[in-house]
Amino acid sequence: MFFPRSIRWRLQLWYGALLVAALGGFGFTAFHLEKARQFRRIDAGLQERLSALVVALRTGTRQSPAAERRERPPGPAPLTTLRLTPEQTAMFGEGTGYYFAVWMREKDPIRRSENAPAELPRPADQKSAVRMRGALRESFLFAAPVDCVLVGRSIAAEQADLRTLAAALAGVGGAVLAAGLIGGGWLVTRAIRPIDEISTTAAKVAAGVLAQRINTTETDSELGRLASVLNSTFARLDAAFAQQAHFTADAAHELRTPVAVLLTHTQNGLASECANEEHREAFEASQRAGQRMRRLIDSLLELARFEAGQEPLRRDTCDLAKIAGDNVVLVRPLADARGIQIHAELSPAPCHGDPERLAQVLTNLLSNAIEYNQTGGAIRIVTERANGTAKLTVSNSGPGIPAADLPRVFERFHRADRARTAGHSGLGLAITQAIVQAHGGSIEARSEPGVQTTFTVALPA
Amino acid sequence: MRLLLVEDEPDLLSGLARALRKAGYAVDTAGDGEEGLFKATSTDYDAIVLDVMLPKCDGWAVLTKLRETKSTPVLMLTARDRSADRVRGLDSGADDYLVKPFDVPELLARLRAIIRRAAQQACSVIEIGAMRIDPAARSVTLAGAAVTLTAREFVVLEYLALHRGEVVTRTDLYEHLFDENEATLSNILDVHIFNLRKKLGHEFIVTRRGHGYSIEG
Repeated sequence: MFFPRSIRWRLQLWYGALLVAALGGFGFTAFHLEKARQFRRIDAGLQERLSALVVALRTGTRQSPAAERRERPPGPAPLTTLRLTPEQTAMFGEGTGYYFAVWMREKDPIRRSENAPAELPRPADQKSAVRMRGALRESFLFAAPVDCVLVGRSIAAEQADLRTLAAALAGVGGAVLAAGLIGGGWLVTRAIRPIDEISTTAAKVAAGVLAQRINTTETDSELGRLASVLNSTFARLDAAFAQQAHFTADAAHELRTPVAVLLTHTQNGLASECANEEHREAFEASQRAGQRMRRLIDSLLELARFEAGQEPLRRDTCDLAKIAGDNVVLVRPLADARGIQIHAELSPAPCHGDPERLAQVLTNLLSNAIEYNQTGGAIRIVTERANGTAKLTVSNSGPGIPAADLPRVFERFHRADRARTAGHSGLGLAITQAIVQAHGGSIEARSEPGVQTTFTVALPA
Repeated sequence: MRLLLVEDEPDLLSGLARALRKAGYAVDTAGDGEEGLFKATSTDYDAIVLDVMLPKCDGWAVLTKLRETKSTPVLMLTARDRSADRVRGLDSGADDYLVKPFDVPELLARLRAIIRRAAQQACSVIEIGAMRIDPAARSVTLAGAAVTLTAREFVVLEYLALHRGEVVTRTDLYEHLFDENEATLSNILDVHIFNLRKKLGHEFIVTRRGHGYSIEG
């Protein structure tokens, strides 16, 4: 699971970058210190031989003719003699790798050792310096009695050593970096794990499993404290929901018992032989009020339970078209009584939900469409599959809902037309909306006053 | 038929008792769980109407304790209508369950049903020979002709018919026909039996001397 924005990967990235910088700095410094040390050693060797040569040139001590002959190079005659003691001679030669050359203001050196490279230009005029030519390191001095004295050697071996050192440093650095990244990743994972646990638990609580708590073993760490705070929040949430559940249960009892008293006594009164017409009318009115109160209480409690998430919903695979078809059959007599035509276009619209609750949605929408229609009007009901949802549309040719009232039709007790709603609780659409939303769907109302009013329900397929 | 009605709301208790008495039942009442449990265990009722929310001892506890000794049919009344509550009620041994507020005719129909089931009668109309007894309509016909009975006479006949083939003792009849408040005269039963025989035929109700009465099935 790779999240470019996750804390985990950002931490890894920073950690890796810092490790690379630190290792790079150390490696670079170590390499350059070693390189400088090597060059100091090389330069010291060169300097020692240069001094010896200069001393030999200056003293010009007599040497045996044999020695002179041996040292004398072929070519132009020497302008000055250079006699080297055996110790000095031992400083140069094949075994040592050192060579020398001596110039007298001429293009070619007057003396040069046999192992000196063929291509050996005279250094430009400088007091004293070293120079690099390829893998050759040369130290020279412009000093009397000659013009320029140069001592050099190949440092290919040292350069190879340095390359090996660089490779070794890079290898070790890479290994340390890899180990560091793996170790860092492990640490980050360990540090992040409680966060994952917290978010999993919080997600469960959000989904309605209110009894879930985060397991807090380290109560003193930062995350432990966060977990404790979250746990107490969850506990309060749980308590609030439990209180709400208690309230609806208590309210159910407190509201229903008086209505039961009312209905029992009015029904007794209606059954009584000694009730006259006037009594009977009074009892009937009371009974109607009682029945209406009963429906109202049922609807309000149902709505309260939906809002508290206490209403259990089945999740069956069902077809909106079938539920709609069944309901059309049920309400047709009501529609016929008012001369209303029902046009049903039901293509399969499978969805997941509670068939009884969805049937309630259809009953509510259809009876609404009949109630608010004009006599002899029409109702159109359509089910279809649309964009991964099951879609239900119920339109009626009633007078419609004024635009100002449209956003409020799903509110409790809202009525578009107050004059004509005696038998209704005013909670039907609120319950319909609650059911649709509990299924994870959406419902909306559109109306063109005088033309038609349409309710559209979309449920996840 | 004698019923026990356990309900803590006095107005509902009186209204229900009146409705049940009007329907021909002998009704005892109790205002809390303890009293209800005491009466339910000490008398053989034909059915008990039991509220769930009761002071002292709630309906569930009454039902559980009652079921230790008696299998009297029980109809629970409650204001809670969640299916979980209904399942709990039926699983605890209640025979039926009615949510408040209810319609009196529905309560009466459900009571008739649980009483009938307890007497192992599947059919709502009892037919014995040429006689049809309809407890719902409280009517009796003999060979197609309606017979007019008083409420008490009907109850005596209904009880004997529900227990036909058995000998029903006078004590049984007294216990099931009169509630706790009625000062019964010892010969009132003889009067009802005499009238029933006069209306339905003399051989219909057999006297088992020293035991009681019976209707042959």
